[in-house]
Amino acid sequence: MVTCAQVTRTFATRAGRIVGLVEVSFHINPGEFVVLQGPSGSGKSTLLLTLGGMLRPSSGTVTVAGTDLYALSSGARARVRAAQIGFVFQLFHLVPYLTVHQNILAGLTSAQARENRDRVDALITELGLTERRRTLPGTLSAGERQRVALARALVRRPPLILADEPTGNLDPANAALVFQHLGRYRQEGGTVLVVTHGQEATSHATRILRLEAGRFVTPTLPLAANADSLVP
Amino acid sequence: MSLVLLILRELRHHRLNAVLSGLGLASAVALLVIIQLLTTAAERETRRVVRDLGFNLRIIPRATDPEQFFATGYSDQTLPADAVTRLAAGAETFVTFNHLTPILERRFPLAGRDVLLTGLGLVVAGPGEKKQPMGFNISEGKAYVGQALAQRLDTRPGATLELKGRKLIVEKVLVESGTDDDIRLFTSLPDAQAILELPGRISEIRAIDCLCLTADEDPLSQLRAVLGKILPEAQVLQLRALADARARQRRSAEQFAAFAVPLVLLIGVAWVGILAALNVRERRPELGLWRALGWNSGRIAALFLGRAVVLGVAGATLGCGVGLAVGLHYGPKFYPVTAGALAVDPSLIGWAILLTPSFAAVAAFLPAMIAVSQDPAETLRAD
Repeated sequence: MVTCAQVTRTFATRAGRIVGLVEVSFHINPGEFVVLQGPSGSGKSTLLLTLGGMLRPSSGTVTVAGTDLYALSSGARARVRAAQIGFVFQLFHLVPYLTVHQNILAGLTSAQARENRDRVDALITELGLTERRRTLPGTLSAGERQRVALARALVRRPPLILADEPTGNLDPANAALVFQHLGRYRQEGGTVLVVTHGQEATSHATRILRLEAGRFVTPTLPLAANADSLVP
Repeated sequence: MSLVLLILRELRHHRLNAVLSGLGLASAVALLVIIQLLTTAAERETRRVVRDLGFNLRIIPRATDPEQFFATGYSDQTLPADAVTRLAAGAETFVTFNHLTPILERRFPLAGRDVLLTGLGLVVAGPGEKKQPMGFNISEGKAYVGQALAQRLDTRPGATLELKGRKLIVEKVLVESGTDDDIRLFTSLPDAQAILELPGRISEIRAIDCLCLTADEDPLSQLRAVLGKILPEAQVLQLRALADARARQRRSAEQFAAFAVPLVLLIGVAWVGILAALNVRERRPELGLWRALGWNSGRIAALFLGRAVVLGVAGATLGCGVGLAVGLHYGPKFYPVTAGALAVDPSLIGWAILLTPSFAAVAAFLPAMIAVSQDPAETLRAD
């Protein structure tokens, strides 16, 4: 599903060059639930955004569903993101002037919205958002906002979900709900990569990776690895 | 989700920015409408006043002796009557001359003394100009009599004058003017040609110049150049005082517009541009999200440029209404025009509604490009 080969990312700052990722290589098979852990500043978000086609690596390649992301034009890469990848962010990133229902539809074209009408209704019901359907994000709780963001990511049934600290601002009950839905999505055939500090995701994980100072400190599995094995 | 829906909902959400932008555009449009209204009215009024004052050009035969001309007030030479037609047919004529009036004028003995017999032909005006006579519109067989002449002849409207066997009914006795019109007998051109035995001839073409240039801009050279190509047998004299008065009035209006219009546009662009930039800055997290959802640069640019277009339409509509209302009601209090000279040009409204959205999009272009170039990774990172 996702292959990262010798990816390095450095940032130029006033204080000098900062290395975000150092020759990171790994592979995620379809249907895996991979948890990526590590201390703050270890490069977890950098890696996730690079995998999502939003942060060009300084060197190396990223392949999603067989496509070399950074060999594409920015427009083509945007189309791949729209079709292949769903995102869930720590800060929710809901559109403040759209209702819950409209936020869930935000990434869809009008035709897609019509086609997925039933799925949208089902997600709103499953995630306990029925009463909030016509509410603007400003009046939602943190848990409700993240459930809206989760519904937005899931509605298109993208092959790959990238979640960056999705429960960082949530209470344990809402955090458990988010991972429960992500776990179920993986069981339905989706591939999930979650960046998280917490342990709630580990029960759903097929693999746990740890990143420190831009490098994996846990061995990543060979390219032909069994998707169901766990790294101790 | 449609861009239009997103734009409208966003405008409602960031309503302060939207209102300030819209009001800025409306104010600019209103000011431009007022400027256009007043300067057009000033031009219109000047032309009316100058036309009422009379011609400021005299086109006479080239062979005219200047001493004879200025001593008697008319040329003793003649031109063929079709000179007017030939002049009117010239390609450059109505850029330089307008309201061409053929005239035949001579001193003529009447009741023991000479009178100024002036035959007036039909006015030839330029395209779009009203054919109002420079002077009077006199039918064949009729006459207008100057005040002093009428007193001397003891004549009044309805009376009959006979000149060389040709009977003319006095249609009007003119009010005292303090000029040589007081001793003129005005007839139609055919009557004058018959009485003076100069069939098909005229002594002069009177006109108004269209150039509206002051003396230091040497309008006479241009007038003579155009005339020389079409009527080489004629020459043109300009009544400087009238021409200068009109040129100064028009120049004043043009200078006002030349100063005010760019200033209004500059302030408008700056206002709308700054507010657009603030809007982009406030929506940086949203921009990151749209990128994550698969939006390309074109769609993001369209989001902001489309917003500017919507604001432009709203601003133009409001601005036209306010500008017309203020200009029509308060214009004469602040600018030297009379209320009667003010007139609404419907095409002005059309142009405003067409151009203002484009203007707003231009003002918002740089902020839109900033939005397009935003790095989504900067706003989407977790804490």
